[in-house]
Amino acid sequence: MTSRRWLDLAAAGTLATALGAGLLVPPEQTQGDLARIIFVHVPAAWLAYLAFVVTLIGSVAYLVRRDMKWDRLAAASAEAGVFFTGLTIALGMIWGKSTWGVWWTWDARLVLTAVMFFVYLGYLALRRGIVDPDLRARRAAWLGILAVVQIPIVHFSVLWWRTLHQPPTLLRPDGMQMDAVFRGALVMSLVAFTVVYASLVARGVERQRLDAELAEAVASEEVEVAGAAITAPRYGEAN
Amino acid sequence: MKVPFWRQAAAIAGKDLRTEFRSGEVVMITVPFGAAALMLVPLAVGTDARLLADIGPGMYWSVVLLFGVLVTVRQSAVDGPAQADLLGLLGIDPAARFVGRVMATGVLLLIFESILAPVALALYDTDPSGWWWLLAVIPLVALGLALLGTLAAGIASSVASATLIPLIVVPLSVPMLLAATQVTEGLQIDATIVGWLLLLVVMDLLLAVAGVLSARTLQETTR
Repeated sequence: MTSRRWLDLAAAGTLATALGAGLLVPPEQTQGDLARIIFVHVPAAWLAYLAFVVTLIGSVAYLVRRDMKWDRLAAASAEAGVFFTGLTIALGMIWGKSTWGVWWTWDARLVLTAVMFFVYLGYLALRRGIVDPDLRARRAAWLGILAVVQIPIVHFSVLWWRTLHQPPTLLRPDGMQMDAVFRGALVMSLVAFTVVYASLVARGVERQRLDAELAEAVASEEVEVAGAAITAPRYGEAN
Repeated sequence: MKVPFWRQAAAIAGKDLRTEFRSGEVVMITVPFGAAALMLVPLAVGTDARLLADIGPGMYWSVVLLFGVLVTVRQSAVDGPAQADLLGLLGIDPAARFVGRVMATGVLLLIFESILAPVALALYDTDPSGWWWLLAVIPLVALGLALLGTLAAGIASSVASATLIPLIVVPLSVPMLLAATQVTEGLQIDATIVGWLLLLVVMDLLLAVAGVLSARTLQETTR
């Protein structure tokens, strides 16, 4: 069995265990079962950050080394990051509707997360718009570096502005404020989703490599040229 | 003979500005377009004078941001691949080219903002207290938007669709919009605005460093 297959199996196993743990913890005192959404919402938000930091690392490494494997890592991680950012927003909206009574509110954290989502959509659109692999890699690398400036703004927005969104759950100055049972389930969920992210990125990198090979094979194929059937006359030779 | 960096940048800026002043696209098209957008908003949200006075500064900065992108897109349309190759053959420093384009776009954005400001003031009857602070905010926003737009145009210059530039510029310029709006609102309620001004300065500096550092890489991949 390949290492990628093992990673897929690990992702499925840890995810099933974490979701089981999330369902088994007792309902939260004030929010009841709705609070269980935290076991997916928080890991998704964490992975959005992680994915875009990995995109930054891949981008810088590509510009330094000019090795396409780093570009493929940056691209695959950005794809996963866009997925997890979308998931974070969607789950936040579901929770917001039940708690605040609205799907969307003009809160700094919400707006800035949506902005981050659009910036990385732009990153993916840029990659789709450039055919030449080297050119695409260099352009995307610079955007991957520029775009990461939003992560601290999104993360600290709940501390810098007065927002409806609660302060950070994990990376907060005064440590994690959570009941031990919830904390255990949340840590399991974080680990599980991180393995899922690793699996998605591994698959993404492989797909990018195969795409590049396919494009190279298509480009190197001999193409029939118009007029190729016509041969130059040979003088002095018998018919 | 090696031409000094700033003379190269000034020559590029002069060329871009001459091209623009001959066509008059910013003053004759983009400014009236922005003014029309400022006029449309009251029709959509209602003509309550108090409401319009409250949303006036925010509307002004939103229009500056969204329509200012058109100015940066216009610059990238003028500077095509053939011209980029020619400048490369002439030995123009890529960083000087970046700085020159930022200077030209910055001047055009400054003109755009300066014309629209009194229009917004007149249409929305916004409280003009502390207006002299705008003398600092307007150039900082113009510079930031010019830096971001030029950088985005460089990154997206090989993409067929010009609509990609706004998709890069608009979300990344949100801190600028926030800072500019907060300064304008802060002036009306006598709140501290130094932090927001500092954010604008820091953002401009970061973008300038990123633009100069990336200039060579982006130019070597123009084609």
